[in-house]
Amino acid sequence: FAARSLLRFCSQEPIAMAAFRGSLQKVLCVAEKNDAAKGIADIMSNSRMRRREGLSKFNKIYEYEYHLFGKDVTVAMTSVSGHLLGMDFQSHLKKWHSCNPVSLFDAEVEKYCPTDYTNIKRTLEKEVRQCQALIIWTDCDREGENIGFEIIHVCKAVKPGLQVFRARFSEITPRSIRTACENLVQPDQNVSDAVDVRMELDLRIGAAFTRFQTLRLQKIFPSVLANQLISYGSCQFPTLGFVVERFKAIQAFIPETFYKIKVTHEHEDGIVDFSWKRNRLFNHTACLVLYQICMEVRDASRRALYRSMFSSACWGDSETWGLGGCCGVGGVLWDVGGVAEALPFSLCGLPGCRRVKVLLGFAGPVATVVEVGSKPKSKWRPVALDTVEMEKLASRKLKIGAKETMKIAEKLYTQGYISYPRTETNIFPKDLNLTPLVEQQTQDPNWGNFAQQILERGGPTPRNGSKSDQAHPPIHPTKYASNLQGNEQRIYEFIVRHFLACCSQDAQGQETTVEIVIAAERFVAHGLMIIARNYLDVYPYDKWNTKIIPVYEIGSQFQPSTVEMVDGETSPPQLLTEADLIALMEKHGIGTDATHADHIETIKSRMYVGLTPEQRFLPGELGMGLVEGYDSMGFEMSKPDLRAELEADLKLISEGRKDKFSVLRQQVQKYKQVFIDAVEKANKLDEALSQYFGQAAEPVQQQEIYA
Amino acid sequence: MNTVAVAVRVKTWLSSTWHVKVPDQWLEACISWIQENVSSSLSQAEINKHVFEQWLLTDLRDLQHPVLPAGILESQKCELSGYYAIQIDYLVDVSLPAYSQLQKLKGRDNPNEQVTATTQATQRPWEAKPNRMLMIQFTDGTHQIQGMEYRPLPSLNANIPPGTKILLQGTIVCRLGVLLLKSENVKVLGGEVEALVEEYSQDKVLSRLIGVEENPVPQTANAQD
Ligand SMILES: [Mg+2]
Repeated sequence: FAARSLLRFCSQEPIAMAAFRGSLQKVLCVAEKNDAAKGIADIMSNSRMRRREGLSKFNKIYEYEYHLFGKDVTVAMTSVSGHLLGMDFQSHLKKWHSCNPVSLFDAEVEKYCPTDYTNIKRTLEKEVRQCQALIIWTDCDREGENIGFEIIHVCKAVKPGLQVFRARFSEITPRSIRTACENLVQPDQNVSDAVDVRMELDLRIGAAFTRFQTLRLQKIFPSVLANQLISYGSCQFPTLGFVVERFKAIQAFIPETFYKIKVTHEHEDGIVDFSWKRNRLFNHTACLVLYQICMEVRDASRRALYRSMFSSACWGDSETWGLGGCCGVGGVLWDVGGVAEALPFSLCGLPGCRRVKVLLGFAGPVATVVEVGSKPKSKWRPVALDTVEMEKLASRKLKIGAKETMKIAEKLYTQGYISYPRTETNIFPKDLNLTPLVEQQTQDPNWGNFAQQILERGGPTPRNGSKSDQAHPPIHPTKYASNLQGNEQRIYEFIVRHFLACCSQDAQGQETTVEIVIAAERFVAHGLMIIARNYLDVYPYDKWNTKIIPVYEIGSQFQPSTVEMVDGETSPPQLLTEADLIALMEKHGIGTDATHADHIETIKSRMYVGLTPEQRFLPGELGMGLVEGYDSMGFEMSKPDLRAELEADLKLISEGRKDKFSVLRQQVQKYKQVFIDAVEKANKLDEALSQYFGQAAEPVQQQEIYA
Repeated sequence: MNTVAVAVRVKTWLSSTWHVKVPDQWLEACISWIQENVSSSLSQAEINKHVFEQWLLTDLRDLQHPVLPAGILESQKCELSGYYAIQIDYLVDVSLPAYSQLQKLKGRDNPNEQVTATTQATQRPWEAKPNRMLMIQFTDGTHQIQGMEYRPLPSLNANIPPGTKILLQGTIVCRLGVLLLKSENVKVLGGEVEALVEEYSQDKVLSRLIGVEENPVPQTANAQD
């Protein structure tokens, strides 16, 4: 079997491969983080690995024997700590005053190893000398692929003839690690290229704009901004833009009064609210007219009843039950609005009208039931979990921010508790056997019974979404954990409950709809009977409540308890929550599921935005001023389109459908032009900010700033 | 042909065909104008047609010729029946906030405002969808009266030009000075009034409703773009 898979991977070079197999004795494996290296080594060695120190005390070396490429080999498993190399301009351009920032769009850039990482690099160089093959075990996403190529670059510099492989896996579990070992592939250059392009553009655009606006604004508003770094990033700016946009929408909003007719009907279990099918009207007279019509007693049988109770002398001959002449009142009140409440009042206490009290109960409009419907209604169980959903749900339901959520999820992943938490997939692959994953959870005191029921009722039936990144499955638990604490426990519990809910059944209910007519105006009430809670039993984050309404029969009539004309006011949209902001970033393609949380963190740490006590985003003065300044230049820098285009290009590169160099060239050109224009109109930036920071200092020629 | 005799025939034709009533003075002046400006040798039928077209384009306020029964506004509740050819000054949909209508009209409605983190789709709780309800400001030239779209009026929409003439027909309930209109009550005759087009544009009508000062000076700041 091993020989067959070997042929598949290296079919272009079967001869070289055979030679390689002969000489193969030791393999270097490199994971993205020490935790992952340790977890993978533990699985591959059945917990019998030997631990050695490397030159970096955070990145250990784990050694063990393993059967690879059809023979027993020694494995040295070590790790990096994320990116091993950084990208920067050559040293003469690194000083902020060294050049006009516009030259940063064309200046040469180079990859280098930051000082804190040189120990890791030297460990790799040292270890690889004894190895004939290198297997990349970094996270299987874009950044991971790029980190893989950094490792390859470092190792091949020492050992050019090195054989290189990539392990593909989505979770650190025995099954998944074994499968990865048996199906080693080649690292994906396209995916890595996309990251290189992104890094280079972020560096050029970020450095040029950051230097330009920081130096300029520090000089122009020295009292406020002298020590402020005013960073620019093509993701942070649109992110900030969303916050400012919402704030301005709220400021611009004009509330309006609306009116509606509200009908209630009391019954033994409570009150049924009937809502007006016209919903609401933004015109008092229009609503009042309809209300008056409702309030007129038109029911023929009731009219007969009244006639029998009063002498005919009491009645005027008006079609609309005017009380003209009745008991000497003159029907004035009736005329004013035809409002039924006026009826008993107008009669009250007058001699000869002692039946008024009897009449009270009959005054008012009559509702006729015209439609009764009943249909099954389900509340859908959650769709398999992807990263963005996890961030949004954790933020909304657990009040744990996206950044913190991702940090915890990553930790749970490297410890083997959950699958890889950066995924755009919400469809469980057919070949992933979910039954054992549900089984693992049956031992839990809280949700174990629910997991057991899933198994007893025919096994997991996941509800899938429609997205797949073809790389990772949806986020799911991979191992039972009972020893977690604090937010780690809460995130784990959430992932487990979400998974179990997704694998169970929708909640089932029966919805009743009752439609009534009062003087040709229609009103509708809804009742809900929950028949089976199903997934809701394991998923406390969703609420669904029974609402009992009595049985109404078509054609029957009743007297509403109240028929009121009520008013209200429209309200502006709310400030964005973190979850809203992520939703907007996702919608507009700003950043990736892996970076949303970071961009949000950046605009917070730069003081561009702050949080209200309700944890909603409010733009700060600097943030407002920057967005307004660039907007007034007529650029769409705070709008998502420019960055979204870039992001789409990166995707095409990673799929091998667009050339890395042409994307670089186009994007650099585009941003460079925007930069040149921005510098030309820089006074607009000053003007916008002076609204918040007071008068600008002497106008400055841009050239003087770099002198 | 004797202008007076022509006028009598036009008057009869307008009334019997369109239920349009006009004062003699206006009618005679209109006929003279047509004969001078269009042609002096028009047939009666052609004159009829031209007069009707002129009427469609006239602001009924200029006619000073009441059509609607006096006192209709004062009555709490009454019925109007018969035929009344009158003019729409403007109309507005009162089922929606004026602010959102104005935003949409100016292309400033932003779908981002609808984006919330409400994540996975579930069956939504029932909510009434607003049906359009137009409130229409009518004039017969001397009386102003409002009409409401009590039942759907497919022949009307918010883009109908100010000054459009319509024929009210059948029996119409009137409450608090508002006519409760159903589709069989309203027939659009057409026309517009140039002088009102600007004054009663949707933009201005909506802006007035929410007290937003209009900016009649065209913006020159963006001219350089
Ligand atoms: Mg990673």
